[in-house]
Amino acid sequence: MLIEIMDVIISGLINGSVYALMAVGLTLIYGVSKAFNFAYGSFYSMGGYIAFLLFGVAYFKNYLVVFCLAAPVLLVFGFFIEKLLVAPLRKRDDWEIKVMMITLGLALFLDNSYQVVFGARMKSLPSILEGAFEVGDFILSYQDVVIFVLSIGGILLFRWFLNNTRTGMSVRAVAQNPAGAQIVGIPKEFVFAATFAISTVMVGMGGILLAQKYFVTPGGGWNILIKAWVITAFGGMGSIKGGLYAAFIVGMLEAFVGWQFGMNWTLIALFAVLLTTLAIRPQGLMGKWG
Amino acid sequence: MIKISKLDAYYDDFHVLKNVSMEVKKGQIVVMLGPNGHGKSTFLKSICGLVNKVTGHIEYNGENIAGLGAEKLVNKGITYIAENRELFPEMTVLENLKLGAYSKAARPYEATNLEKVFSLFPRLKERKLQLASTMSGGEARMLAIARGLMSNAKFLAIDEPSLGLQPNLRDEVGRIIREINSQGMTVLVVEQNIPQITELADKLYVLEEGRISFEGTKDEALGNDHLKEIFLGM
Repeated sequence: MLIEIMDVIISGLINGSVYALMAVGLTLIYGVSKAFNFAYGSFYSMGGYIAFLLFGVAYFKNYLVVFCLAAPVLLVFGFFIEKLLVAPLRKRDDWEIKVMMITLGLALFLDNSYQVVFGARMKSLPSILEGAFEVGDFILSYQDVVIFVLSIGGILLFRWFLNNTRTGMSVRAVAQNPAGAQIVGIPKEFVFAATFAISTVMVGMGGILLAQKYFVTPGGGWNILIKAWVITAFGGMGSIKGGLYAAFIVGMLEAFVGWQFGMNWTLIALFAVLLTTLAIRPQGLMGKWG
Repeated sequence: MIKISKLDAYYDDFHVLKNVSMEVKKGQIVVMLGPNGHGKSTFLKSICGLVNKVTGHIEYNGENIAGLGAEKLVNKGITYIAENRELFPEMTVLENLKLGAYSKAARPYEATNLEKVFSLFPRLKERKLQLASTMSGGEARMLAIARGLMSNAKFLAIDEPSLGLQPNLRDEVGRIIREINSQGMTVLVVEQNIPQITELADKLYVLEEGRISFEGTKDEALGNDHLKEIFLGM
């Protein structure tokens, strides 16, 4: 019993850490540019497929190489998607709704492209590190440990970027006060595109990490999109700290509900908790009013 | 330094500025007075590239800058200091100041400007690690001015610097404007009432209903019956 509970907690922590990495990216886009990105889940799948391509076709067989190649590809892809699809809409009336529609269209386009190129069957990625070790009575796989460490490392790296680089500071400036950012001469359009690009890298990396455990499928990103949105709304729209807490709560909840009632109940439980939270605190865990 | 001719500005379809012409010479302090809501802020923002719909001619050191955005103008040495401060609330005083030096032109001078700003505003140095949102109204106003100075500007456009300040802080703001002006800064200030700042003015303009209704020295202004009526109620 105790060992089972420990397993569930570990599984919740590991999934929670990857969710945190991905939800922080989504929260960031919303916090900075107030845009809803419905293609976020498809960027998750893109990470998985890029890794699959590199492993399968090019025979790199090394996650370090995969990360180093996938990150810049995702960064450039995200930057140009923002410049080409999102930025032109921002000048129009009701641009928020138009951005939702166009990213939804992009998601469908990408998912169907994956199916055409890679087929509908699920693809698997090799484990990042084989083997396991024992701590007392229960067994911990190296893979889980590495996934956890890399996710937390990614979040810390992102935090460092926000606090210590000029671009990171300009991202925070635009999120906190767009008018003030304009006054000091920060190019808002560049910051929007950079934010979008960075969040694409974060979710794509999450895709590579989780694909080892849950496979890559053409429509596999939808589940992630829903979870990332639940976490973002649960934590408080635009609050990075709230998103972090919410991600671990969601990871734990999922693990415990899956263990006690079966995986089919996890999404239902997530929405029950989300709705209850929003009924009591409409601004989310750490969000602000208005 | 700045010469504006036939400037018209719009907010959406609202015609705010009508045929405004004026000039600020290098090294001057020019004060523009006018009642609330008659277009003073829009005027400053138009010069600083913060209003989208502007027609007319704005000449800065011989170059037409009308229509350029703030990110280009800050780099050329034109900086706006907002009436409502527009600070970054969840950042420290120091981070706010560093972002003031965001433009490429200001980056090499960040350290020297920071030193200069801290000697002008010792309170900010004491509070450099405090969040901007926790500062009092007066301190926040000082921080907004200090952040503007970090941009290494040659021309400062200051929007109602004494609004809502106690008399002693108003004097402080006046002293600082005089000091940066004596170091070579050209300053354009807009104010709602005739405050102490008028004492510093090399030239005065009055803006009413989007048009310039008076231009002259402060002595001429004090002898003008219409101005006495609208500003002093005499």
